[in-house]
Amino acid sequence: MSECEYIEPEVLEKMENIVVFMCNECGQGSANTAGVARMAYNPAIRIVRVQCTGQVGPIQIMDALDNGADAVACVGCCLGACHFFNGNILSMHRIKLMKKLFKELGYSDQFVNQYTSRAAEGETAVGDFEDIVERLATAIREEGTFKDGC
Amino acid sequence: MDVRIFQFNGCNKCFNETILLKGESKYNIEFIQDPQNWKEQKTDISIITGFLLSKNKETLNKIKANSERVIAYGNCATSGGIFALANQKGHDVSPLKNFIEDTININGCLGEIEELKFEIEDNELPKLQNLCIVCERRKTCDYLDELKRQIELEDNETCFNDLGYLCNGFVSKECKERCIDYNAPCRGCKPIIERSGIRMLGMFGTLMGNIEVATEHSEKGATDKLADEDDDITASLPDIVGNFFRFTLPTSGLPKGRIPSNGNLLEDVFTGRLIEELPLISGLLGGDHSISLTLKIIETYEEANNIKVSEKTKNYRNQLLKLENALQKAIQSKDPEQYKKITEEIRKIAGNMNLSNLSYGGFRSQIDENDDFEEYKAHPFEVIEGTYKNGSIEFTIDPIGIVKKIKIKEGYV
Repeated sequence: MSECEYIEPEVLEKMENIVVFMCNECGQGSANTAGVARMAYNPAIRIVRVQCTGQVGPIQIMDALDNGADAVACVGCCLGACHFFNGNILSMHRIKLMKKLFKELGYSDQFVNQYTSRAAEGETAVGDFEDIVERLATAIREEGTFKDGC
Repeated sequence: MDVRIFQFNGCNKCFNETILLKGESKYNIEFIQDPQNWKEQKTDISIITGFLLSKNKETLNKIKANSERVIAYGNCATSGGIFALANQKGHDVSPLKNFIEDTININGCLGEIEELKFEIEDNELPKLQNLCIVCERRKTCDYLDELKRQIELEDNETCFNDLGYLCNGFVSKECKERCIDYNAPCRGCKPIIERSGIRMLGMFGTLMGNIEVATEHSEKGATDKLADEDDDITASLPDIVGNFFRFTLPTSGLPKGRIPSNGNLLEDVFTGRLIEELPLISGLLGGDHSISLTLKIIETYEEANNIKVSEKTKNYRNQLLKLENALQKAIQSKDPEQYKKITEEIRKIAGNMNLSNLSYGGFRSQIDENDDFEEYKAHPFEVIEGTYKNGSIEFTIDPIGIVKKIKIKEGYV
């Protein structure tokens, strides 16, 4: 795992809730492995367990953002390893469209993201969390939080 | 029964349609085109048409205080309508329910006069089905390999979505305008569910399953993640706001846009849209100038790019322009019979009052059974970058076909 980038306290303060939808198979599995290994991650991360990231669509993402989330991410199985055929890829399609939509409205496209992880390796989940926080920090530094625009 | 009809900002398509109420002798109708200076009077029913801005709040409160029931008629009043696309650039077009409580909504662009009559008489509205149920096209629901931007008039039997066009029929009610009958995919002006745009976006994301999405290696997670770079997905949908949130941007739950504005609300509606969408949007801007504005946009592009137009097409277009003149006179004299007669003739040529049948190079569907449709059939055209100028209109498009700048000199709003 690479070194954590320094994030200013005033930026960290602005990250109160980061909703991460994790699939019940690889996503939640890797978070469990990370927990067993006592790996630490940012306390703003809130995990929501879903059966498959294919269940998560723009409606759920907008619900989270409208109700106070600073960023939303999905963590699914690795490419080709979805336990429900292709839920992770379909979710990627939708999140890609969400990213484009945010850009069209003049917002950063880093408020939504999708990752994959491996159930046997806890560091993949923790690494994904670090990446989410880092990207959100960059977005906040450049353009402010999502709530600022509402 | 006292009925007062108020026209706020924007096109006056729905306001004009209410002329048809005048034919019914049981209503005592008053048309108010200048609501700011309205002398307060008690009234049974107030009908609000046109889009609303925060500066209208006081007037709306006055109307609410004086009326027993307030009806929002047409999409602009109920959900912001086509003008709310300017919210992408920071304007504050809002639906009526943001200003006053307990309003009755009649969706649609154009709102249906029959529904309005039902509401005025306090009858229950007939239950409307989903558009896909009444649509004659068959769906396969296979994953799409590509999206198409311009309509090709070959297949009349397969669902628009399966052919790769963006049809909002899934989230819409059946309606009178029925763009789908004129080879124009549904634009979703009568949503059947809340936040229809977001739902449609999710559905389309799934439907695009066979189009490749870009992924990249994530350094920290040591696995794959969704890439930020542009890929086939973003290239196939150059204008998501304009396609899925055409009528419902303020009620969609999305935050207000941060794109810098040009200042002019009408020009902000057009900026960022696609060239093939331009006539469809200007057609929606209705009122008594939409036909000339739409034909001006189409002809400007045709002339500059040498798109050949047959005599028959020109003939039909001239007929439309003449009908527009007659329509303006009927509106001025507020003559319901004349208005009905002329709009029926417009519908015969242009399909509906949203001018769905008009397109570059011809028409989208056959107008008269005795005609040879091949003569004036619209064909896909090439998107050519450049600045197009013709008298009162000037627009610049980029290589993908997105309108970067537009100037409309005449006072359409």
